[in-house]
Parts: sequence; C-alpha cells; structure tokens
Amino acid sequence: MELELRNLSCGYGQRTVIKSISLSINVGEVIGLLGANGCGKTTLIKTILGLLPIQGGEVLLDGKNIKNWSSAQIARVVGYIPQMHTPPFPFQVLDVVLMGRTAHIKPFASPAKKDVKIAEQALEMLNISYLQDRIYTEISGGERQLVLIARALAQEPKILVMDEPTASLDFGNQIKVLSHVKKLAGLNIAVLMSCHFPEHAFIYSNRAVLLNNGTILHNGTPDEAITSERLRTLYGVEVDIVTVKNRMNQELQVCIPSRSLAEQDKSLQLIERRKEYALA
Amino acid sequence: MEAVTRHRITEVESKKDAGWKIIILLITLILIFILSFALGRYPVPPGQLLEVLAARVLPLEPTWNATVETVIFQVRLPRILAAILVGAALSTAGAAYQGMFKNPLVSPDILGASAGAGFGAALGIYFSFSMLGIQLMAFVGGLLAVSLTYGISIRIRHDPMLALVLSGIMIGSLFTAAISCIKYIADPYDKLPAITFWLMGSLASITPRDVYMVLIPILLGGILLYLLRWRLNVLAMGEEEARVLGINTTLMKTIVIVCCTLMTAASVSISGLIGWVGLVIPHLARMIVGPNYRVLLPASILLGGAYLLLVDDLARLLASMEIPLGILTALIGVPFFLYLLLNSKWGWK
Repeated sequence: MELELRNLSCGYGQRTVIKSISLSINVGEVIGLLGANGCGKTTLIKTILGLLPIQGGEVLLDGKNIKNWSSAQIARVVGYIPQMHTPPFPFQVLDVVLMGRTAHIKPFASPAKKDVKIAEQALEMLNISYLQDRIYTEISGGERQLVLIARALAQEPKILVMDEPTASLDFGNQIKVLSHVKKLAGLNIAVLMSCHFPEHAFIYSNRAVLLNNGTILHNGTPDEAITSERLRTLYGVEVDIVTVKNRMNQELQVCIPSRSLAEQDKSLQLIERRKEYALA
Repeated sequence: MEAVTRHRITEVESKKDAGWKIIILLITLILIFILSFALGRYPVPPGQLLEVLAARVLPLEPTWNATVETVIFQVRLPRILAAILVGAALSTAGAAYQGMFKNPLVSPDILGASAGAGFGAALGIYFSFSMLGIQLMAFVGGLLAVSLTYGISIRIRHDPMLALVLSGIMIGSLFTAAISCIKYIADPYDKLPAITFWLMGSLASITPRDVYMVLIPILLGGILLYLLRWRLNVLAMGEEEARVLGINTTLMKTIVIVCCTLMTAASVSISGLIGWVGLVIPHLARMIVGPNYRVLLPASILLGGAYLLLVDDLARLLASMEIPLGILTALIGVPFFLYLLLNSKWGWK
C-alpha cells in the first residue's frame, strides 16, 4: 500500500494553505512532518483523512483517487491518532479501542467477538492489556495516547496518520509513545507523523518532510534533510545540530539553540545593569 | 500472565453484570406496572388484573363486574402505557442528544426541543387541529427549535459545551414566549384552559386512541436509535474523530436529531411539557450501567418508563386533586441534578 499526494492543494474555504505539493509514502516508512505552527501540517493531515475538501490535485491510495470515498472506505485504510484529549463520558478502555472497529461493522451492528479479539490484540501489541477494564478518562495522558494508538491499530489500517501525538505529554511519556510508533512500521504500516521537535524526527522517523509556508522545503532522510540552515528557514531561529553518543554508544543528533541563547545573555545583562542602576 | 487472566474474568463479569442490571430494571418496571393498577380511586388487585388480562386470550368465566374491565382497559391501561412511553421516549431522546452533541448537559428541554414542540402543539390546539395535526405541528416546532439551537451554537466561538446550553436556553425562552402569545390570544373559556392544563404536563385525560397515535412515532424513533446505539458511542468522541473512524457524521447527526425530536414531539403532544426526565434519567442510567450506549440506551428506556410511571402514580395519589406531572418531575429532578453536579464523579468526569 502506498499513499501518494499529487500536486495537492488544500485549505479552509477559499483560503489555500497547502500549495500544490507532491509526496509519496510507502509501507514500512515512518515520515516525520516538520514545520512551524501554521505551516499547514494539520491542514495536510486533515485533508488526507478526508476531513477537508481537496482544492486541487489528488490523494491516491494504491493509485486510486480517494476523492469520492466514503468516510468508512477511508477509515478502513487510514487510521488516525489525534492529540491527547478527554471525552466527556467515562468509557471503558476496551470500548474506546473497539470504536476502531466501527468502519468494519455494519451500520446497525455492534462489535462482535471477533472484533473484541482484534481490540485485545491491539492492546497486547502495545503492552497495555492491563488497561483494558480501566476507565479511559481516569488513566494518565501517556496511557490514553497509547490507547488511541491501539484504537487505530484495531482499525487495521495501512496508513497511520498522527497529528503531534506527543503534544501535551510529559517528557517520559513522549519517549514511551514514540518508541511504540517506530515499531508500527514493522507491521507493514506507513506512518505519517507531524512532530514538534526535530529530535523526534531524527530518532523515530526514517524520512523527514520539511513543510514551509504550505510547500515542501525538503524531503529526505532525517540526517540529510534536517540541517541548521533549513531549521533557520523553518522556524526563524539559529540552531546547532550536534552529534552525541548515548550510553549504548549509539550516535544521535540533537538540536541546541545557538544565537537565541546569546540573545538571552544580552537580555540577562540588561536586567543586571538595571539592577545596578537601581542600587546606585 | 495471572493479571491478564484475572482481567479477562472481570471483563466477562462486567458484561454479565450489565446484563443482570438490565434484567433487574425490566423486573422493576413490570412490578411498578402491576402495582399501578392497584393504586388509585378504583384499585385493581394484581390477582384480578391477571384474571382479566388472561380472559382476553383464554376462555375464562368472568367473576368480576364490567366496571373492572372498563377501568383496566379504558382508564388505567392507557394512562400507564402513556406514562411508560413518554418516560422512555424523553429519556432515550435525552441520552441520544447527549451522545450526539458530546455534551452531558443537554436534554430535550435544554435544547429547546420541548418548548418548540410545545409551541407547535399549542398552535395546533389553537387552530383546533386533529390529534395527528397537533403531533405534526409539535414535530415541526421541535425540529425548528433544535436546528436553531444547533445552528446558533456552532457559530458561537466559545466553549462549545456552554454555547450549546446557552443557545438552547435562549431558543427555549423564545418558544416559551411564543406559547404565552398563543395563550394570550386564545379564547379564555375554551382554548386557554385546554392549552394551560396540557402545558403543565398531565396524563389525566389520556384515551386509548392517544396511546395508539404516539406509539408509532415513538417506536419508530426508538428502534432506529436502538439499532444505531454503537455508533452513538463513536459520535460521543466528537465529530471529527467519528468521521475518521468511518462514520458519515452528517447523515448520522440528521438521523439522531430527527429521531430524538420525533420522540420528544410525540411525548409533548399527549402529555405537555414534562421537564427534567430527559436530563436526569440518562445520568442515572449512566451511574448504573456506565456510558456504553449498548447498555445505556436500553437502561434509559426501562428506567425512564419506570420513573415516569411511578411519578404519575404519585401525581394521582398524593393529593385529593391530581398534581400536574410537570411540577412533580421538576420537584424531584432539580434536587437530584444538583446532587449530580455537586458530586461530579457520578456525572461525567
């Protein structure tokens, strides 16, 4: 299965946010989508999911145009993991995961035993079977995000789309959730994930797509694509990319601010000077 | 591994649990049903009731006088059935509205559906329409009110939960004012008392024909919602997520709004404005069986029917004159809902 965007333009109403981009994603790939707030990451994701109308070009799944597909047809192929949220009703975790089966069952039917089995397998795959009977609104944010991944897996999709799946998670939970994402690629699934941090793209994706003002600035392996010049274009800040070794002796890239730190120094100096004036 | 097995067992148990709870609710409803015949000015004891009912299918020699039969079939049975139907309809509509709007604070009354249906029905009474005409007017009024409420709320850029409740209250007040207008111009000797007593909410003058008339729309809406109950769960996660999970939300929302409003309008057209049932019962049912609509919907139907039947019995018995049903449901519903709000672990958090 392959997802292909051909000269895709999309946006809200009359406004075009994404301007004629082309991109293809294959099974087994994890794509990190990087870009500043408002560059069109969410717009692109919503269009692939069929939530926003296509303004120009096409979205192809295995060569087939999805323009006239029903939401159920899309849901059988594309799974979605939203940002962390709290629904107003205290559903059981298993029921939340079972919701992923909706596109596979008839309109008037409820999930059958077979669907329960698939949902349980999805929970097992993420090592969270112990959450099955817990109340979704009462578990931690990281656990909730894993449950949403399990729900998307129960959908048995070929393509998984995630919109900043780690937004509003704490440091530990970000790592826990993302390490599972990397495993998904091994399940013959293509993953498209928008990330807040370039580091996440370095560690957890095998291709980075840099989105700037609705167009693709660059598309390539993370090591090659993410450079300090491109990050300056994307985010308007000076960043150094440093290679470090972790205790397993693996090489990792990290981004550290360069000029902005110096600017901070300057403003600190200003504060110091003001204090001196005040004392004098 | 042991933990996993243990969880499997609790899973099976919780499913069984829900089943038992539904059965207990059903038995409660049947008991209140039988009890309701034995209460009132002309009590029919359970033994006699069974005999008379059995005589309908079995060739039994009547040991009772004809009055008993008249009381059972012409007076008490229609009223009891109407109470169960109206209670079940309002509760089901409330539960479905709450899921569809992803908002535990809405109900047919808060969304303005009841007031809109009330306006339509009052207009129907004013123009001396037939029962069918009054029901149709109530349906159109209710649909108009809910559409207005929903249409306004999505244009308010604010907390969507609050926006829906507020616009519902506004539309509700608007239609209540319109009802007052009709009352103001209505003939004070004939139409005005009819509208006024009907609005207070009462099942006192129910005829078997009324029951037949509302049975069809209530069953129609109820069965459709019951069939779609799994999808109501998914809709309760929010519109965007429901679509991504494969639901045609536009179609689904339309079906749910039409079904709920149909049931509300049918109830309002025979019983007037009975408030709070559609808000309180779904919460009570959620406390008992949890938020999954697979069991929440049947639980709401049974609990709503039993509740309104019990309240109607109280309305018949408490005073020498009948107390309007709408007054009693508010007197019971408001303190109960306050209790829910103050102990929010029961509500929706």
